[in-house]
Amino acid sequence: MNPMIAIGAAIAALTGIGAGVGIGIATGKAVEAIARQPEASGKINGAFLLGIALAEATAIYGFVIGLLCLFS
Amino acid sequence: MNETAKETLTLGERIREALSFRTLFTVRVGELSIPITETVITTWLVMAILIAGAYLLTRKLREVPTGPQVFVEAFVGFLNGFFKDTLGHHWRPFAAWLGTVGLFLAAANILGFFSPIPGFGFEPPFALKPPTRDINVTAALSVMTILIVIVSGLVVKGPIGWFKSFVKPTPIMLPFNIIEYAIKPLSLCLRLFGNVLGAFIIMELLAMVVPLFIPPVASVYFDFFDGIIQAVVFVFLSSIYIKEAVE
Repeated sequence: MNPMIAIGAAIAALTGIGAGVGIGIATGKAVEAIARQPEASGKINGAFLLGIALAEATAIYGFVIGLLCLFS
Repeated sequence: MNETAKETLTLGERIREALSFRTLFTVRVGELSIPITETVITTWLVMAILIAGAYLLTRKLREVPTGPQVFVEAFVGFLNGFFKDTLGHHWRPFAAWLGTVGLFLAAANILGFFSPIPGFGFEPPFALKPPTRDINVTAALSVMTILIVIVSGLVVKGPIGWFKSFVKPTPIMLPFNIIEYAIKPLSLCLRLFGNVLGAFIIMELLAMVVPLFIPPVASVYFDFFDGIIQAVVFVFLSSIYIKEAVE
Protein backbone atom coordinates (compact mmCIF):
# COMPACT_ATOMS: atom_id res chain seq x y z
CA MET A 1 0.00 0.00 0.00
CA ASN A 2 1.03 3.58 -0.46
CA PRO A 3 3.49 4.43 2.36
CA MET A 4 2.01 7.91 2.75
CA ILE A 5 -1.30 6.32 3.68
CA ALA A 6 0.37 4.29 6.40
CA ILE A 7 2.24 7.33 7.74
CA GLY A 8 -0.98 9.34 7.75
CA ALA A 9 -2.82 6.67 9.70
CA ALA A 10 0.05 6.46 12.19
CA ILE A 11 0.00 10.23 12.75
CA ALA A 12 -3.76 10.08 13.25
CA ALA A 13 -3.25 7.51 16.00
CA LEU A 14 -1.06 9.97 17.94
CA THR A 15 -4.17 11.68 19.30
CA GLY A 16 -4.24 8.98 21.95
CA ILE A 17 -1.51 10.85 23.82
CA GLY A 18 -3.85 13.69 24.68
CA ALA A 19 -6.55 11.35 25.96
CA GLY A 20 -4.07 9.36 28.06
CA VAL A 21 -2.59 12.44 29.73
CA GLY A 22 -5.97 14.07 30.30
CA ILE A 23 -7.60 10.99 31.77
CA GLY A 24 -4.56 10.41 33.99
CA ILE A 25 -4.78 13.92 35.41
CA ALA A 26 -8.54 13.53 35.93
CA THR A 27 -8.03 10.25 37.78
CA GLY A 28 -5.43 11.85 40.03
CA LYS A 29 -7.76 14.70 40.96
CA ALA A 30 -10.67 12.30 41.52
CA VAL A 31 -8.62 10.11 43.86
CA GLU A 32 -7.40 13.19 45.73
CA ALA A 33 -10.99 14.41 46.14
CA ILE A 34 -12.17 11.03 47.42
CA ALA A 35 -9.29 10.91 49.88
CA ARG A 36 -10.24 14.32 51.14
CA GLN A 37 -13.98 13.59 51.53
CA PRO A 38 -14.95 9.90 51.29
CA GLU A 39 -18.68 10.55 51.80
CA ALA A 40 -18.90 12.31 48.43
CA SER A 41 -17.41 9.39 46.55
CA GLY A 42 -20.69 8.61 44.76
CA LYS A 43 -20.91 12.02 43.12
CA ILE A 44 -17.17 12.08 42.46
CA ASN A 45 -17.42 8.72 40.72
CA GLY A 46 -20.28 9.95 38.58
CA ALA A 47 -18.48 13.10 37.47
CA PHE A 48 -15.27 11.14 36.93
CA LEU A 49 -16.82 8.54 34.62
CA LEU A 50 -18.55 11.24 32.60
CA GLY A 51 -15.29 13.17 32.27
CA ILE A 52 -13.45 10.06 31.08
CA ALA A 53 -16.02 9.32 28.39
CA LEU A 54 -15.88 12.88 27.08
CA ALA A 55 -12.06 13.06 27.14
CA GLU A 56 -11.85 9.74 25.32
CA ALA A 57 -13.91 11.11 22.46
CA THR A 58 -11.08 13.13 20.91
CA ALA A 59 -8.84 10.07 20.82
CA ILE A 60 -11.67 8.19 19.13
CA TYR A 61 -11.89 10.90 16.47
CA GLY A 62 -8.23 10.22 15.66
CA PHE A 63 -8.96 6.50 15.46
CA VAL A 64 -11.83 7.10 13.03
CA ILE A 65 -9.58 9.26 10.84
CA GLY A 66 -6.96 6.51 10.84
CA LEU A 67 -9.60 4.01 9.73
CA LEU A 68 -10.73 6.39 7.00
CA CYS A 69 -7.12 6.67 5.78
CA LEU A 70 -6.57 2.95 5.65
CA PHE A 71 -9.83 1.62 4.34
CA SER A 72 -11.16 4.28 2.02
CA MET B 1 -11.59 -17.95 -1.49
CA ASN B 2 -12.62 -20.42 1.18
CA GLU B 3 -15.28 -18.69 3.25
CA THR B 4 -15.96 -21.38 5.80
CA ALA B 5 -12.50 -21.70 7.36
CA LYS B 6 -12.15 -18.46 9.26
CA GLU B 7 -8.79 -19.39 10.80
CA THR B 8 -7.10 -19.10 7.41
CA LEU B 9 -8.06 -15.44 6.99
CA THR B 10 -5.22 -13.04 7.53
CA LEU B 11 -5.36 -10.16 9.95
CA GLY B 12 -6.10 -7.53 7.33
CA GLU B 13 -8.84 -9.59 5.79
CA ARG B 14 -10.37 -10.22 9.19
CA ILE B 15 -10.45 -6.49 9.97
CA ARG B 16 -11.83 -5.70 6.55
CA GLU B 17 -14.58 -8.22 7.11
CA ALA B 18 -15.35 -6.70 10.51
CA LEU B 19 -15.77 -3.31 8.89
CA SER B 20 -18.09 -4.43 6.09
CA PHE B 21 -21.82 -4.96 6.04
CA ARG B 22 -23.38 -7.75 4.05
CA THR B 23 -26.63 -7.06 2.26
CA LEU B 24 -28.91 -9.94 3.04
CA PHE B 25 -31.88 -9.17 0.80
CA THR B 26 -33.55 -6.21 -0.85
CA VAL B 27 -37.08 -4.98 -0.46
CA ARG B 28 -38.81 -3.50 -3.47
CA VAL B 29 -41.17 -0.62 -2.72
CA GLY B 30 -42.57 0.62 -5.99
CA GLU B 31 -39.48 1.53 -7.98
CA LEU B 32 -37.01 1.74 -5.08
CA SER B 33 -35.14 -1.33 -3.96
CA ILE B 34 -34.00 -0.92 -0.38
CA PRO B 35 -31.05 -3.12 0.61
CA ILE B 36 -31.54 -4.81 3.97
CA THR B 37 -28.10 -5.15 5.56
CA GLU B 38 -27.24 -7.23 8.59
CA THR B 39 -27.36 -4.03 10.64
CA VAL B 40 -31.10 -3.71 9.97
CA ILE B 41 -31.71 -7.35 10.94
CA THR B 42 -29.78 -6.91 14.18
CA THR B 43 -31.71 -3.73 14.95
CA TRP B 44 -34.95 -5.70 14.48
CA LEU B 45 -33.63 -8.26 16.95
CA VAL B 46 -32.86 -5.53 19.53
CA MET B 47 -36.32 -4.06 18.97
CA ALA B 48 -37.92 -7.48 19.45
CA ILE B 49 -36.05 -8.00 22.71
CA LEU B 50 -37.00 -4.57 24.06
CA ILE B 51 -40.65 -4.84 23.03
CA ALA B 52 -40.98 -8.35 24.45
CA GLY B 53 -39.35 -7.22 27.68
CA ALA B 54 -41.62 -4.19 27.96
CA TYR B 55 -44.73 -6.30 27.30
CA LEU B 56 -43.81 -9.02 29.77
CA LEU B 57 -42.86 -6.57 32.51
CA THR B 58 -46.05 -4.49 32.32
CA ARG B 59 -48.63 -7.23 32.01
CA LYS B 60 -50.41 -7.39 35.37
CA LEU B 61 -49.85 -4.02 36.97
CA ARG B 62 -51.23 -3.61 40.46
CA GLU B 63 -51.78 -0.62 42.67
CA VAL B 64 -49.33 -1.92 45.30
CA PRO B 65 -46.31 -3.19 43.33
CA THR B 66 -44.99 -6.69 43.88
CA GLY B 67 -42.37 -8.74 42.10
CA PRO B 68 -40.76 -7.35 38.94
CA GLN B 69 -43.01 -4.30 39.03
CA VAL B 70 -40.91 -2.97 41.93
CA PHE B 71 -37.78 -2.92 39.81
CA VAL B 72 -39.55 -1.45 36.81
CA GLU B 73 -41.07 1.34 38.89
CA ALA B 74 -37.74 2.03 40.59
CA PHE B 75 -35.98 2.19 37.22
CA VAL B 76 -38.54 4.51 35.65
CA GLY B 77 -38.58 6.67 38.77
CA PHE B 78 -34.79 6.94 38.68
CA LEU B 79 -34.83 7.95 35.00
CA ASN B 80 -37.60 10.49 35.53
CA GLY B 81 -35.75 11.99 38.50
CA PHE B 82 -32.58 12.30 36.45
CA PHE B 83 -34.40 14.01 33.59
CA LYS B 84 -36.25 16.32 35.96
CA ASP B 85 -32.91 17.37 37.48
CA THR B 86 -31.19 17.89 34.17
CA LEU B 87 -33.95 19.27 31.96
CA GLY B 88 -35.76 21.46 34.46
CA HIS B 89 -39.33 22.57 33.94
CA HIS B 90 -40.24 21.04 30.57
CA TRP B 91 -38.91 17.57 31.22
CA ARG B 92 -41.96 15.44 30.50
CA PRO B 93 -42.06 15.41 26.68
CA PHE B 94 -38.41 14.50 26.39
CA ALA B 95 -38.14 11.80 29.05
CA ALA B 96 -39.74 9.17 26.81
CA TRP B 97 -37.40 9.81 23.86
CA LEU B 98 -34.25 9.98 25.96
CA GLY B 99 -35.15 6.91 28.02
CA THR B 100 -35.89 4.90 24.89
CA VAL B 101 -32.62 5.92 23.26
CA GLY B 102 -30.76 4.96 26.43
CA LEU B 103 -32.38 1.52 26.59
CA PHE B 104 -31.85 0.91 22.87
CA LEU B 105 -28.19 1.89 23.01
CA ALA B 106 -27.54 -0.19 26.12
CA ALA B 107 -29.14 -3.26 24.52
CA ALA B 108 -27.48 -2.69 21.14
CA ASN B 109 -23.99 -2.25 22.57
CA ILE B 110 -24.21 -5.31 24.80
CA LEU B 111 -25.39 -7.51 21.92
CA GLY B 112 -21.80 -8.23 20.89
CA PHE B 113 -21.43 -10.33 24.01
CA PHE B 114 -23.83 -13.00 22.69
CA SER B 115 -22.12 -13.82 19.42
CA PRO B 116 -20.50 -17.27 19.30
CA ILE B 117 -16.79 -17.42 18.58
CA PRO B 118 -15.42 -19.64 15.79
CA GLY B 119 -12.54 -21.91 16.61
CA PHE B 120 -11.42 -25.54 16.92
CA GLY B 121 -13.46 -26.59 13.92
CA PHE B 122 -16.70 -25.12 15.28
CA GLU B 123 -18.41 -22.82 12.82
CA PRO B 124 -21.20 -20.70 14.32
CA PRO B 125 -24.36 -20.49 12.23
CA PHE B 126 -24.77 -16.80 12.93
CA ALA B 127 -22.74 -13.92 14.29
CA LEU B 128 -24.29 -11.13 16.36
CA LYS B 129 -22.51 -7.88 15.76
CA PRO B 130 -23.59 -4.75 17.59
CA PRO B 131 -25.63 -2.58 15.19
CA THR B 132 -24.11 0.64 16.51
CA ARG B 133 -20.83 -0.25 14.79
CA ASP B 134 -22.53 1.01 11.63
CA ILE B 135 -22.21 4.77 11.36
CA ASN B 136 -25.68 4.93 9.81
CA VAL B 137 -27.32 3.94 13.11
CA THR B 138 -25.43 6.45 15.24
CA ALA B 139 -25.81 9.18 12.65
CA ALA B 140 -29.57 8.60 12.56
CA LEU B 141 -29.84 8.88 16.34
CA SER B 142 -27.76 12.06 16.52
CA VAL B 143 -29.70 13.66 13.63
CA MET B 144 -32.94 12.91 15.49
CA THR B 145 -31.49 14.45 18.64
CA ILE B 146 -30.46 17.68 16.92
CA LEU B 147 -33.86 17.90 15.21
CA ILE B 148 -35.52 17.60 18.60
CA VAL B 149 -33.21 20.31 19.95
CA ILE B 150 -34.03 22.70 17.10
CA VAL B 151 -37.77 22.06 17.11
CA SER B 152 -38.10 22.29 20.88
CA GLY B 153 -36.11 25.52 20.89
CA LEU B 154 -38.44 26.96 18.24
CA VAL B 155 -41.57 25.83 20.08
CA VAL B 156 -40.59 26.95 23.58
CA LYS B 157 -38.90 30.22 22.71
CA GLY B 158 -40.77 31.15 19.55
CA PRO B 159 -38.94 31.86 16.28
CA ILE B 160 -37.78 35.35 17.28
CA GLY B 161 -36.51 34.21 20.67
CA TRP B 162 -34.70 31.31 19.03
CA PHE B 163 -32.90 33.59 16.60
CA LYS B 164 -32.04 35.93 19.46
CA SER B 165 -30.44 33.06 21.34
CA PHE B 166 -27.76 32.90 18.66
CA VAL B 167 -26.33 36.22 19.89
CA LYS B 168 -27.02 35.41 23.52
CA PRO B 169 -23.78 35.95 25.48
CA THR B 170 -22.28 38.47 23.06
CA PRO B 171 -22.79 39.06 19.30
CA ILE B 172 -19.22 37.88 18.69
CA MET B 173 -20.39 34.36 19.54
CA LEU B 174 -22.66 34.24 16.48
CA PRO B 175 -20.43 32.08 14.19
CA PHE B 176 -19.56 29.77 17.06
CA ASN B 177 -23.22 29.27 17.95
CA ILE B 178 -24.00 28.47 14.32
CA ILE B 179 -21.15 25.98 14.04
CA GLU B 180 -22.21 24.37 17.33
CA TYR B 181 -25.41 23.16 15.66
CA ALA B 182 -23.24 21.16 13.26
CA ILE B 183 -20.55 20.07 15.72
CA LYS B 184 -22.89 18.71 18.40
CA PRO B 185 -24.50 15.91 16.34
CA LEU B 186 -21.18 15.14 14.67
CA SER B 187 -19.43 14.61 17.98
CA LEU B 188 -22.31 12.54 19.39
CA CYS B 189 -22.30 10.31 16.31
CA LEU B 190 -18.54 9.84 16.06
CA ARG B 191 -18.01 9.24 19.77
CA LEU B 192 -20.52 6.38 19.90
CA PHE B 193 -19.48 4.93 16.53
CA GLY B 194 -15.74 5.04 17.29
CA ASN B 195 -16.10 3.46 20.72
CA VAL B 196 -18.33 0.61 19.58
CA LEU B 197 -16.30 -0.09 16.43
CA GLY B 198 -13.02 -0.06 18.34
CA ALA B 199 -14.34 -2.42 21.00
CA PHE B 200 -15.76 -4.72 18.29
CA ILE B 201 -12.47 -4.88 16.37
CA ILE B 202 -10.48 -5.61 19.52
CA MET B 203 -12.90 -8.40 20.48
CA GLU B 204 -12.62 -9.90 16.98
CA LEU B 205 -8.82 -9.84 17.11
CA LEU B 206 -8.83 -11.37 20.61
CA ALA B 207 -11.20 -14.11 19.50
CA MET B 208 -8.92 -14.85 16.57
CA VAL B 209 -5.78 -15.12 18.67
CA VAL B 210 -7.03 -16.62 21.95
CA PRO B 211 -10.47 -18.14 21.39
CA LEU B 212 -10.64 -20.07 24.64
CA PHE B 213 -10.89 -18.28 28.01
CA ILE B 214 -9.96 -14.62 27.45
CA PRO B 215 -12.89 -13.35 25.29
CA PRO B 216 -15.61 -13.49 27.99
CA VAL B 217 -13.35 -11.80 30.53
CA ALA B 218 -12.35 -9.05 28.11
CA SER B 219 -15.95 -8.75 26.98
CA VAL B 220 -16.96 -7.61 30.47
CA TYR B 221 -14.95 -4.44 29.94
CA PHE B 222 -15.34 -3.90 26.21
CA ASP B 223 -18.96 -4.86 25.69
CA PHE B 224 -20.68 -4.21 29.02
CA PHE B 225 -18.75 -1.39 30.68
CA ASP B 226 -17.87 0.51 27.53
CA GLY B 227 -21.28 -0.01 25.95
CA ILE B 228 -23.29 1.11 28.96
CA ILE B 229 -21.06 4.14 29.59
CA GLN B 230 -21.39 5.21 25.95
CA ALA B 231 -25.17 4.89 26.16
CA VAL B 232 -25.24 6.96 29.37
CA VAL B 233 -22.95 9.62 27.87
CA PHE B 234 -25.09 9.87 24.72
CA VAL B 235 -28.28 10.35 26.73
CA PHE B 236 -26.65 12.76 29.17
CA LEU B 237 -25.21 14.96 26.43
CA SER B 238 -28.53 14.92 24.54
CA SER B 239 -30.35 16.05 27.66
CA ILE B 240 -27.83 18.87 28.20
CA TYR B 241 -28.29 20.08 24.63
CA ILE B 242 -32.08 20.00 25.05
CA LYS B 243 -31.82 21.91 28.33
CA GLU B 244 -29.74 24.59 26.64
CA ALA B 245 -32.39 24.92 23.97
CA VAL B 246 -35.48 25.17 26.16
CA GLU B 247 -34.46 27.17 29.17
